[in-house]
Amino acid sequence: MIEFVAASRWYGQVIGLNDVTCSIGPGVTALLGMNGAGKTTMMRLITGQLKPQTGSVRVLGLRPFANPDVYRKVGYCPDIDNFYEHMTGRKFVYMLARMAGFNHLEAMERTERMLEMVGMAERADKKIAGYSKGMRQRIKLAQAMLHDPDVILLDEPLNGLDPIGRREFINLLARLAEQGKSIVVSSHILFEVEQMTRSILLLHRGRLLATGDLRVIRELIDTHPHRIRIDTPMPREAGQRIASLPYVISLRFDPTGRALEVETRNPDQFYDRVASMVLEDGLTIEGLSSPDNNLESVFCYLVGG
Amino acid sequence: MAETGPIADLSYRGYEGLLESPTRRWWVISKMMLRLAVRKWGLYVLTFMSGWYYFVMMIVMFVQEQIVANSMGRDAAMIRRLANMDWTAQFLHGFSYGQIWFFLIALTVGAGAIANDNKAYALLSYLSKPCTKTDYLVGKWVGVFLVLCAAALIPGLFFYAYGLMNWREYGFVSQDPWLLPKFVLLVPLASAFQASLILGVSSLFRQGMHAGLAYAGVYLVTNFFTVIMSFAYFLSQGGRPGRRPLDTGVFSPEPFTFCSIDGVQIGLAKVVLHTAGGIPFMPREVNRMAQPVVPIPSLWLIPIAAAVAALFIWLAWTKIRAVEVVR
Amino acid sequence: MVASIKNLTVRYGTFTALDGFSIDIPEGCVGLLGPNGAGKTTLIKTILGFLTPASGSGTVLGCDIARQGRTIRQRVGLMPEQDCYMPGMSAVMYVAYVGELAGMPSEQALRRAHEVLEYCGLGEARYRNVETFSTGMKQRVKLAQALVHGPRLLLLDEPTNGLDPAGREEMLELVRSISHDKQVNVLVSSHLLPDVERVCDQVIVIVGGKLRACGLIDDLKKIEGRPVDVELKEPKESFAWAIERVGGRVLSFSGSVYRVQAPGKSDEVTRLVFQAAREAGVQVRSYLAAERSLEEAFMEALNG
Repeated sequence: MIEFVAASRWYGQVIGLNDVTCSIGPGVTALLGMNGAGKTTMMRLITGQLKPQTGSVRVLGLRPFANPDVYRKVGYCPDIDNFYEHMTGRKFVYMLARMAGFNHLEAMERTERMLEMVGMAERADKKIAGYSKGMRQRIKLAQAMLHDPDVILLDEPLNGLDPIGRREFINLLARLAEQGKSIVVSSHILFEVEQMTRSILLLHRGRLLATGDLRVIRELIDTHPHRIRIDTPMPREAGQRIASLPYVISLRFDPTGRALEVETRNPDQFYDRVASMVLEDGLTIEGLSSPDNNLESVFCYLVGG
Repeated sequence: MAETGPIADLSYRGYEGLLESPTRRWWVISKMMLRLAVRKWGLYVLTFMSGWYYFVMMIVMFVQEQIVANSMGRDAAMIRRLANMDWTAQFLHGFSYGQIWFFLIALTVGAGAIANDNKAYALLSYLSKPCTKTDYLVGKWVGVFLVLCAAALIPGLFFYAYGLMNWREYGFVSQDPWLLPKFVLLVPLASAFQASLILGVSSLFRQGMHAGLAYAGVYLVTNFFTVIMSFAYFLSQGGRPGRRPLDTGVFSPEPFTFCSIDGVQIGLAKVVLHTAGGIPFMPREVNRMAQPVVPIPSLWLIPIAAAVAALFIWLAWTKIRAVEVVR
Repeated sequence: MVASIKNLTVRYGTFTALDGFSIDIPEGCVGLLGPNGAGKTTLIKTILGFLTPASGSGTVLGCDIARQGRTIRQRVGLMPEQDCYMPGMSAVMYVAYVGELAGMPSEQALRRAHEVLEYCGLGEARYRNVETFSTGMKQRVKLAQALVHGPRLLLLDEPTNGLDPAGREEMLELVRSISHDKQVNVLVSSHLLPDVERVCDQVIVIVGGKLRACGLIDDLKKIEGRPVDVELKEPKESFAWAIERVGGRVLSFSGSVYRVQAPGKSDEVTRLVFQAAREAGVQVRSYLAAERSLEEAFMEALNG
């Protein structure tokens, strides 16, 4: 639904996006990167606020820059916090609905529906100037979805929400994704992003560093073999048996004396071996886990030093 | 200190040292304002410029003395002029003509004093330490006040010292023995007034520039008003000698000539120094014959000015709030 | 006890923010959780001695909150959520100034500012004006200004706000090392529960102005009966049947993660699970004692 072909954009000497080619389909996609990696630039290119200086960007087949047809189908929930402070939440969303072209009745209906969806229905009659961060965030999301867009872009959407709000929001995004919409979420809170999706787009200093399924990417990171942690009361004995396996690269005994960490390039074979160690060799295991099989570790390996 | 091996532990350690009891925080704030002000070279230029009348006066006196010396004591008119200088009036003029520069100094130091803090929520830093709103406001006020005092005093004292050394024979000291104490009393009064006003205005805005523009606006508009009033007074006294005075009826423009930031300070100067001024650069006898000069205002000026200053301080007090998180 | 609050009621006009609130804040690292508007910020302000309560009393580090507010603030450091700095000053100047405001003599304040900025990870940048800093650096300066006067209680409000993943990692490490290695008491208020889990040992949950839960995180996360979470290579129904055949029960599952309750001692349970997996022909990828996540414990505290 969103296509980038060799797209670049810079600001004077500062590079925003550098030769990025990727495509984003329906479902939730996570847009990740350090501060300044180009995530906001990418979002602005998709929403049509910027034009790529090389290459092309297409949203639902059309070029988004200054193109109202695309604007109708794209909703943007930005990071910044600019409202008309003297209006109430309800009035603000209604005004934007009218500006989107809906007549009075439709705008009222949509306003109520959106406010209900984001959980602001009872609280929307106070002036925005008095809202907490979480309430502002909800209003932002409501206005992004007023016109039922097919593509929704969210920049740090959970900022300021309390844990209940976060959970509700994540569920809401999942529901929207099921309807076939393409949702792009940019966030630094990786453990939450992990709960939303496995499909990631990682930018680093303007270039596309990784794209696709998180698990697949993890498999492919050669330089960091899989770490597997075994909690056992007899780490040394287990270690002896494991050391003789050819696909084990390194062994590390945990200082607590009740665990060991194994690095291997062949996790599949290793897990099978663990099962037979438990059943045949009588190894006592209290825990088995892979500490670096998550998004934070993948991010760190790809981006960090 | 505990025994340490050859490699020191540079990680965090607590602070076990002296912590003064939580009073007199305001002085810390004032010191910081002074430190920041001292770094601005523009303030030095403005202070120098604010004394321009004194420098011109020194040149005028020097030229006149040269004329007398060249005529070898035969130019009686000039000798009479020199003997008839009204020294108190000179300080009044020096102070009045410095007003625009004091205004600029107040802008430089005071406009951003609270406004910039508002933008950066600096008050949170202050209030999370043993510092109260009173400390904050007093500290800021004293900082601006001291800078304004220094700016007004330095050229004035320089002029006084110069006069002490050179113009005794013209009655510099004998004319008015209380001149120096009166001047030294005037400067803090006027500075207090201006400091209160600029701080009040600063607290209303979130950017130093906006506060500065607002203050400049007030200054210029009120000045414009008093210029009109001065002209009205001028006309009501007949203008040039020989003209008929304009009848303004019950309305007396006189008190309104002091209704501006400038006006209040000049008025205070007239009250404290106890002189109406006269013509700048000219000796006394010229004054008697020439255009009307607004006389010394009544003593009521002092409490009224104090009330206005207090109003602005109260304004600042109510406007200063640590950021509240609303539910 | 770091702070002890008894029956505190705080009102803003007609709105009651805290209602008969009593808590003993223990030493160590404590997380403060609660929905927006529940009273967390009010509690922090009360601990700092800012608010006069309508009723009730409390002491913080031995000082009365109603009367000794200034003394409290000399011993407590606050890292606020909002941006807070002073324009026109370099980081060192700002932190030293804050130290002086806290009561340190000026030479000590400057020396200490350098020390604390070094600890917070600001190298050469400390000589630049704070306005030019990135978000991560501003957060570090905020932490530095909270630490400069060597407080015995540190209050952190959303410490990882706006930081990218590397920055979050470093900040959490800093907080953890301060609280665990340096014996500074820390109170962290945050909406990011995994952050709180990582850094704190205990939590306090406030809902609607009242105390809902308080205790060790480990205790809150324990589940009755000690089930285990088993993650398989792919979801397989036959695994569930195999478990039931050996006398166990699958309590719940999501994707390829099954929560299993089986009888017997822990090593017997392990064998049972691996056996069932072998029978079902599927590989076990992860085997952990099931815990409620802090989020689940929090939700329970909310609804309970």
